[in-house]
Amino acid sequence: MTPNGAFTVGFILIALSVAEPGPRGAAVLVALALAFAVIEVGGASLIALKRAAIVVLPLALFMSLVWVGLVGEAPYQIAADIVGTRTAALVYVAKLSGRLFFVVAVIQLVFLRFADLTPLQLVRALALPAPVKRMLAITLSLIGTLRHAIDRAHIALIASGTLTRAPSWRNAVHSWRLIQAVWLSAVTILIGRMRDKWPVEGTMARLDGALDRGKSRVFAGADRIWLPITLAAGCAILLADLAWKR
Amino acid sequence: MPRRELISGPNFSGRSAALMALLRDAAFAAKTFYVGPYSEAALSGLTSSIADEVDLYRAKSTDNPASPGRAVFAPIDVAAFGRREPQTLSGGEQVLLALHCFSLSAFPALAIDTALEQLDPANRDAALDYLDPRNGLGLGADVALIDNRLPPPLAGWTARERTADTTAFDCDPEKVVAALAPRQAPAIAIRNLTFGYRHGRTIFRNVDLALAGGTAYRLAGPNGAGKTTLLKLLVGVLAPNAGELLLGDAPYRPWRHGNRAIALATQNPDHQWSGATLRDDLARRRAAFAHLVGGDAFAESRLVKLAAALGAKSLDTHLYELPLAARKRLSWLWPLAGALPWAVLDEPSLGQDPATRVGLAAAIARLTALGHGVLFVTHDDDFAARIPHRVLAIGEMQVKEAP
Repeated sequence: MTPNGAFTVGFILIALSVAEPGPRGAAVLVALALAFAVIEVGGASLIALKRAAIVVLPLALFMSLVWVGLVGEAPYQIAADIVGTRTAALVYVAKLSGRLFFVVAVIQLVFLRFADLTPLQLVRALALPAPVKRMLAITLSLIGTLRHAIDRAHIALIASGTLTRAPSWRNAVHSWRLIQAVWLSAVTILIGRMRDKWPVEGTMARLDGALDRGKSRVFAGADRIWLPITLAAGCAILLADLAWKR
Repeated sequence: MPRRELISGPNFSGRSAALMALLRDAAFAAKTFYVGPYSEAALSGLTSSIADEVDLYRAKSTDNPASPGRAVFAPIDVAAFGRREPQTLSGGEQVLLALHCFSLSAFPALAIDTALEQLDPANRDAALDYLDPRNGLGLGADVALIDNRLPPPLAGWTARERTADTTAFDCDPEKVVAALAPRQAPAIAIRNLTFGYRHGRTIFRNVDLALAGGTAYRLAGPNGAGKTTLLKLLVGVLAPNAGELLLGDAPYRPWRHGNRAIALATQNPDHQWSGATLRDDLARRRAAFAHLVGGDAFAESRLVKLAAALGAKSLDTHLYELPLAARKRLSWLWPLAGALPWAVLDEPSLGQDPATRVGLAAAIARLTALGHGVLFVTHDDDFAARIPHRVLAIGEMQVKEAP
């Protein structure tokens, strides 16, 4: 399977889930995602599920607190000005959380499918126009720069007694200083590179060259199985949804 | 014949500008691999893993067919680090990675701005040997180098001596020493300390160590051994997996309750500023520690005097508008101010010319004599030799006082 194929399958699955399919459609999507997980990703799929749970659970708890606990009715009931129930609010939160869990899990599965590739190799393997690949590589490197800036700011503010490593009131009061320090660090890190290293070496041109190496195929191999199945499932879900709405 | 240019002179003599001018010189090779003083200018910053950094620079078959087959410089096992982010390497390891990348590339020239000062003696010797035009390796590249610890002449190298063109950031060691104040530092005890990074190797296992106040300790070990990691544990940036610290006789958990004993000067000075100007930075530190210490250590007039002795004419200058060497000098201010009982300095002499290193060594020696505890990391033997100290050797997951 190529990265292009996996990302396209992932995109279709996510787009269909966002289109709010009925219970049968949702079951088809989950079945497809599970098949993708088992066949293409294997045991590492559990990591995807764990990460999705880590992202979604706090949000689900917060939404439950707000909609089920405090408001006591679902948003659509408020909009329609009908008497709301906590059960409807709970169903609403469950649906939303389930959809979010599905989206995060699919994204994780697609990336885990290529866990054996380094970020540069993955971007290189994508069949995309050179400027898009460059943008992707730079975006990934910016994430690294931000992490580096956060590390720098943490050292500075913890050593200077402004923050503590463990959660504390001091951290709550001075959190804006952390944001300020991270921002300043990120800017100075970037300036440091752009002033000396990059112009002397022509580093950006090297990146273009590095991304251009090797062959990248649009679709090949298992893509030819996964894409038709996913597209067919998508069409079926949409048609069934249309028929049901009529 | 490939050129070897050693640009020497004191700080603020325009060495870095001279290096850049040399790279633009038509007689020097057209494209140059650049290794700047710190990670931000040593590595590309465009990759998210060490394997990708190597991949980015690895020569293509079409790159430079005129000079193939350069000897590979590989003092560290780059393959073993493949998936790690480049920024997670220690400063010295990042320099080694940069040199490794150069050795795999087809760049016809290499420029190094004081970066070799971060290397331990074995790696530094290996790097200098690699660059030596007489080594028979056939590097096939022009090299320009700035290094404060290599006095010219250097056999096989052309010396370009610079003279200071400004006194704006001059450091006055005598005034620095005069501004130091006495303080009795409590002992620090490390008991059964174990630490390892998440998903990484164990750095320390069951370390027991006692550090007495009024003593200077040099933390010594090869690049990547965990010297900076130990400093981060003492300051509370990292939390140990097991073990405890004692400050005097009381338990000390800086990772939980915050740092209240150690004034840290980081290897890269830009890792320690908590404000955009020196005034901001000092004001925040004073606010953070005011409940712990009072009196003279925080007196603004004293801090201003010490800052001036270290070369800061104004506390309101934006720190990033100052040259790197000047920022490095100002990074010593907080430890030398003595507001906290222990001064911890990570590679304090990095990027500093010989005269300044002598002055700093005198200040650290005096600080110790005044009762402060001092822990410093350096690969600079000449600098360390000027400070009466004990050696703590890091290796094989242990920190032990060397005989």
